Amino acid sequence: MNALIAFIKKEFFEQIRSNKLLILLMIFFAFGIMNPAIAKITPWLLEMLADSLAESGMTVTGVTVSAMDSWVQFFKNIPMALIAFVLMESAIFTKEYATGTLVLSLTKGLARYKVVISKTAVLLFTWSAGYFLCYGITYAYNAYFWDNAVAKNLFFSIVCQWLFGIFIIALMVFFSTVSTANTGVLLGTGGTVFACYLIGLVQKANKYLPTMLMDGNSLIHGTKSAEEYTAAIIITAAITLSLFAASIPVFNKKRL
Amino acid sequence: MEMLRIEGLYKRFGDKEVLRGLELSVPEHSIFGFIGKNGAGKTTTMKTVLGLLKADMGEIFVNGERVLYGKTDTNRYVGYLPDVPEFYSFMTAKEYLRFCGEITGMSQKENASRTDALLSLVGLSKETHRIAGFSRGMKQRLGIAQALLNKPKLLICDEPTSALDPVGRKEILDILLAVKEQTTVLFSTHILSDVERICTDVAFLNEGTAILQGKPADIKGGLQTKEYRIETKGAEGTALLQNAFGGMRKIDENKIIFSENDHDLSDVLRFMADQRIALLKMDQPEKSLEELFLEVTKK
Repeated sequence: MNALIAFIKKEFFEQIRSNKLLILLMIFFAFGIMNPAIAKITPWLLEMLADSLAESGMTVTGVTVSAMDSWVQFFKNIPMALIAFVLMESAIFTKEYATGTLVLSLTKGLARYKVVISKTAVLLFTWSAGYFLCYGITYAYNAYFWDNAVAKNLFFSIVCQWLFGIFIIALMVFFSTVSTANTGVLLGTGGTVFACYLIGLVQKANKYLPTMLMDGNSLIHGTKSAEEYTAAIIITAAITLSLFAASIPVFNKKRL
Repeated sequence: MEMLRIEGLYKRFGDKEVLRGLELSVPEHSIFGFIGKNGAGKTTTMKTVLGLLKADMGEIFVNGERVLYGKTDTNRYVGYLPDVPEFYSFMTAKEYLRFCGEITGMSQKENASRTDALLSLVGLSKETHRIAGFSRGMKQRLGIAQALLNKPKLLICDEPTSALDPVGRKEILDILLAVKEQTTVLFSTHILSDVERICTDVAFLNEGTAILQGKPADIKGGLQTKEYRIETKGAEGTALLQNAFGGMRKIDENKIIFSENDHDLSDVLRFMADQRIALLKMDQPEKSLEELFLEVTKK
């Protein structure tokens, strides 16, 4: 237990001293502010463009924005923040393989599964902290400028998106135990998501795929009901747990 | 008692067979020199002992316990220093040793006192910078400190002196000599003067097997052809000897060498006494380990 705590502590230490945590939180913070800000300046932008739009025959009349526009931005921007998160944290295992730092810890009797648990815990924490920071900021501004009540199923859609992030973390951890290089992790994670998109082109398959969880906009507009997400949630959770469970035996047999 | 025993170890990487039935026995409280050319399989052997590589065949016992690949149980007896040790560069030396102590489950108090003692042993107690700025020698010294942290019964060092300058090398060798009482040291090297300086046991590794193993003196003794070297006062003496005894080799103006198989030493000495040849020096020239190593690996 002490060894596990020591290794988790070391992981946090690394996140802080390498400034990764700070940079990630800043990215999530920036997105959190951008969502309401873009919604807020949309009418003003359109007004600026009104003259040139009028020339081409379009008239701009009474543009009104609400919290809805800000939430639409939120669900558009979170995938970008998630990509930044993956890019920054994808080397969390492979960097240790490349430098050989893990070897010294393991030859001191540290159990291998504790390495997987520690790194997973830090990834879960970092993602959750960043994600809910972004959400909190957007929520607060929206409440201040407009009214959050217009968005239907808001909390549910937020949880779905968060769950998708955890699915991505499971992919990162799994491909980190399989692959020895950073590129393997990025290709594996990116490839799986891309495959989900491809399968999702078949309309019927869509509601069973993890990528469905990213469709928060349909939820808040009410074009889809929460029940329609049940299958995707169950499947995503099952895949995520299986990936975490598979990572440990794979890592146990890994050549370092 | 044996601290480490390796039985019939085989390992291949692709079509390259690195270890071919290696047998090795490291006695307790020895400083065991594991000698071999680059690529002879030294690092592979050590990593297998640590459970970091999977052996194709064969068994390894550390302190009587079997080593299993992927399990780290036997590593509680082992301290390991890799050839190029890498540490978490965002930590200081002290933080790193504390971290290692926590991993091995030391108590807070023991951890603190052990860390301080080891830092002063390796001369890093005043170092407050992060490891990122350390020189190679400093990293090697920190490497020894971390390897000794949990008082291992077996200290495994992979070429600890290869990349260091003479001062750094001496420091490391002195530290290894100093810890001999507490632990068994297995270190690989290709610097044979280091081996002659501190090792109590050696093994020569060549093409995946240990071709020679034992105490340095025994190995040297077993392979020496008994030769005598005689130094006389003036060149006339050597000339007289060469005329009287066939097969003597002149190696200098007044020095000759002959083999015990050719002539009896007492005959030669009697002749010298009769002829009143002044003897300055007589000895048995020893082959160095280096010459021996080149000889046995040439085959």
